[in-house]
Amino acid sequence: MSAAPVASPADAGLPPVLGCESCGLVSADALAGAEMEPAGRPPRIQKCSRCGHVLHARKPMSVQRTWACVLAAAVLYLPANVLPIMTTVSALQREEHTLIGGILELWADGSWGLSVIVFIASIAVPVLKIGVLGLLAWTTRHAPAWRRLERAKLYRLVETVGHWSMLDVYVVVLLGATIRFGPLASVQAGPGLLAFASVVVLTMLATYAFDPKLIWDDPAPVARHGALPANATETAHAGRSA
Amino acid sequence: MSREQNSLVVCEQCGLAHRWRPLAPSSVARCARCEAILGRGHRLTLPTLLSLTITATVVFLIGLGSDVLSLDMRGVARAMTLPGAISAMWEEGHESVAVLTAITALVAPALFLGLRLYVLVPLAAGRVPRGFAACVRLLHQAGRWSMVEVFTIGALLSLVRLSSLADAAPGPGLLAFGAAMVLFAAIESAGLKHLWWQVR
Repeated sequence: MSAAPVASPADAGLPPVLGCESCGLVSADALAGAEMEPAGRPPRIQKCSRCGHVLHARKPMSVQRTWACVLAAAVLYLPANVLPIMTTVSALQREEHTLIGGILELWADGSWGLSVIVFIASIAVPVLKIGVLGLLAWTTRHAPAWRRLERAKLYRLVETVGHWSMLDVYVVVLLGATIRFGPLASVQAGPGLLAFASVVVLTMLATYAFDPKLIWDDPAPVARHGALPANATETAHAGRSA
Repeated sequence: MSREQNSLVVCEQCGLAHRWRPLAPSSVARCARCEAILGRGHRLTLPTLLSLTITATVVFLIGLGSDVLSLDMRGVARAMTLPGAISAMWEEGHESVAVLTAITALVAPALFLGLRLYVLVPLAAGRVPRGFAACVRLLHQAGRWSMVEVFTIGALLSLVRLSSLADAAPGPGLLAFGAAMVLFAAIESAGLKHLWWQVR
């Protein structure tokens, strides 16, 4: 099925508009070009006239919040992989399983298909999310014009596959809840599981903190002229997102 | 608001404004700049959406109330429901994992369905429910954090792992979650913004 060109870009002469994230209504950007409020005064906000949702030209503090979540996720990624996510106890032995260990066991058992699924969900997706979001946040500031379409598609990919890394958390919860036969046989969640679950949640929060519209922003022209103070770019950003 | 702005649609992903024309059925409008989907020609009608939501609610309740997995180990049988698994995690001292599982597999999907029912039933009768705007906003969040499909695949995966240890069998709950997974995807494909089209 071909994508019929049923919507065409609006004329460039149009005043700046904002689309409501909640109801889709398009309103004129009342704060476009407005001066930033002096420090100490609450920032002016515009609300959607139909549903009352706050309208932002860009998500506030998007890059900062994305970095905070991505870095926290990257730090927790280490204990998530090193610490055991699950401990199995049987009459004869007590075994600790790490994320990668579980995948290797599945592979050794001959369930190659399953081990590939778990590898994608538990190893590939978190690494992809941390890497892609770090790249997006970095290029927004340092290489804004670089491969915009590809970056936009990467963001949509991360947004779509993000929650699949919860797979291993559910598996451990279900195994732990089912195999409870006391000392004979039991499965317990390990400390690595909490770290891994935090990585999943933090990368999801980072995904929602990042504003994909930033990919298409041009560096503020005031910064290039150099006629304004050094923090002019920051002021322009803050004024738009307030 | 001018008439001009009424026929505009702004790309959610990149913020580019597009002039909107009614879409032919089965056609997809994509953003001219970032290629994200702007809208689809095919929309579920309100009655269809309502009946899908009611079906999904029934199926989801069955999934919550019945066994997802059952296990027979040397004569000792054990069956497990989703709420049972969550409370078992809590009792064993993994409160945060229990809470996370409860939010993503139970609370968010319940809100996903419950708020839709609360909104769709009055809309189908031609009324606008109280707090409609807040419900739609909350529905956006519920959709983001609802992971019924991941839980279903996780349950299948656990079943495979368990069957190497003992006599494991899928319960009716697993079947219900499988059906809920498909219904959730169908409901989600309708989107949320179009709910506002009914309100004018």
